[in-house]
Amino acid sequence: MSDPLIPEAVVVIDDDYAMRFSCGKILSKMGLRVQVFEDGTRGLEAVTAVKPGLVVVDLKMPGISGLEVISRVHQIDPQIILIVMTGYATIDTAVEAMKSGAYDFLPKPFSPDELRLIVNRGLERRRLAIESQRGEVDRALLKRTFVTFVSHQLRSPLAAIHQYLDVLLRLEEMGDSPARRREWIGRCLKRTEELQGLIADWLTLARVEGGTLLKERVEVDIKSTIVNILENYRPMAAAEDVALEASLPKEEIHVRGDRTCVSVVFDNLITNAIKYNRRGGKVTVSGGLSDGEIVVAVSDTGVGIPEKYRPFLFDEFFRIKEDGAKRTEGTGLGLHISKRIVSEMGGSIEVESQAGVGSTFRVHLPAWREPSDAEIGGWQ
Amino acid sequence: MTTGNKRILLVDDDKDFVEAVACFLEANGFTVFRAHDGKEGVRLAKLERPDLILMDIMMSERTEGFFAIHEIRGDPEINRTPIFVLSSFCSRLPDFEIPASGGWLAHDVFLPKPVNTVHLLEKIHQRLGKAA
Repeated sequence: MSDPLIPEAVVVIDDDYAMRFSCGKILSKMGLRVQVFEDGTRGLEAVTAVKPGLVVVDLKMPGISGLEVISRVHQIDPQIILIVMTGYATIDTAVEAMKSGAYDFLPKPFSPDELRLIVNRGLERRRLAIESQRGEVDRALLKRTFVTFVSHQLRSPLAAIHQYLDVLLRLEEMGDSPARRREWIGRCLKRTEELQGLIADWLTLARVEGGTLLKERVEVDIKSTIVNILENYRPMAAAEDVALEASLPKEEIHVRGDRTCVSVVFDNLITNAIKYNRRGGKVTVSGGLSDGEIVVAVSDTGVGIPEKYRPFLFDEFFRIKEDGAKRTEGTGLGLHISKRIVSEMGGSIEVESQAGVGSTFRVHLPAWREPSDAEIGGWQ
Repeated sequence: MTTGNKRILLVDDDKDFVEAVACFLEANGFTVFRAHDGKEGVRLAKLERPDLILMDIMMSERTEGFFAIHEIRGDPEINRTPIFVLSSFCSRLPDFEIPASGGWLAHDVFLPKPVNTVHLLEKIHQRLGKAA
């Protein structure tokens, strides 16, 4: 299924009618194409026929066992993600299933949220596993899973903040003020910023999608926008020991767009370049106008982005999780938002990266030109 | 109130959460071992033989806690250790039995995250006894 317009297919195999019915319903609501089957034989026929992205299988069924379904599904296509559901007394088999290649498991009974989360993660994993050529990911699918992702992303910082405050209060009552009190308050603030960042990004994205942020089409000077952003981030860059350099033309360079949106694009790129840099590194922003097109490049001197992740960089909530990688603090929405805005403005954004050398994000935007009278009419 | 030298293992991938809860328990007289993923949790469970294990479920974007619990319950040396599940992923002790290793025990507990520390302390005292 490489067509981004066709929702991913999912096959559910469970001998329990109520279970497969409710799983089917939940997954359909997620925008997936779901087929449900009561036994392994029929399920496998369907897997062969539709080549689904993901199979949810009960382990304890009459006829072909869940374990056998797993190995046969992987014979059909090793990239199909398998999620096993286990009921009473089958957790040992679940572990067996994981060893034989299942992606994750869910003990029964589970809530719709739990199923959605596990399936989403499985599908995300699949997208990663496939060396996909496609530039656009299935928007319809992602949109429906957005709320689940966001609520889970909101929960962890909130739980951490709550826990710090709760413990500070308890210890205070015990007359035992923790030595790291100041540090804890600092960490609470950090997690609060994480939450605020998520909400801000979430709102920007909602506005971009709703079209409200892009209504304003005025002349925006890219040069002063970038200079302002760089000034704002000097303290942050200094704290990270990263130098900020700009190589911009003397004259102003204008695009037609919304001031806030244009600023969001470069703000995201520049903060990323600072965050994913090394100590003693450098961020370079260069830009210019040629052939009616504005090109702005934001380069860092970080570790680079492994090639296998590049097709997914602009996806919602995509974050690279590599051992030894810098702790990811972002919301996973910044690049996605930037790309959305740039596309809406009729431009494009691309990335080049070299391991150990750094990455460059290049934004292409149509340059401002005097609107014709006909166009002016359309703006009012 | 003394807790003697009771030892508690806390497994959660959110370092801030671990820090807060661990300090609270330490202030209440417990010795706390901290682990930030399931594998480390199992390792410390085997090495340190804690009196109680506090376990998160969703770690590294998977239900890693279930695996850790399974492994702990599969080890006859430590399989009677009470486990408290602290999670915002599920809303109760999942209905899961582990025939080879005993599954949930009568003294296992589920607590939603963020955790009410007073309640947590109460439950711990119930399980481990108030005095050493």
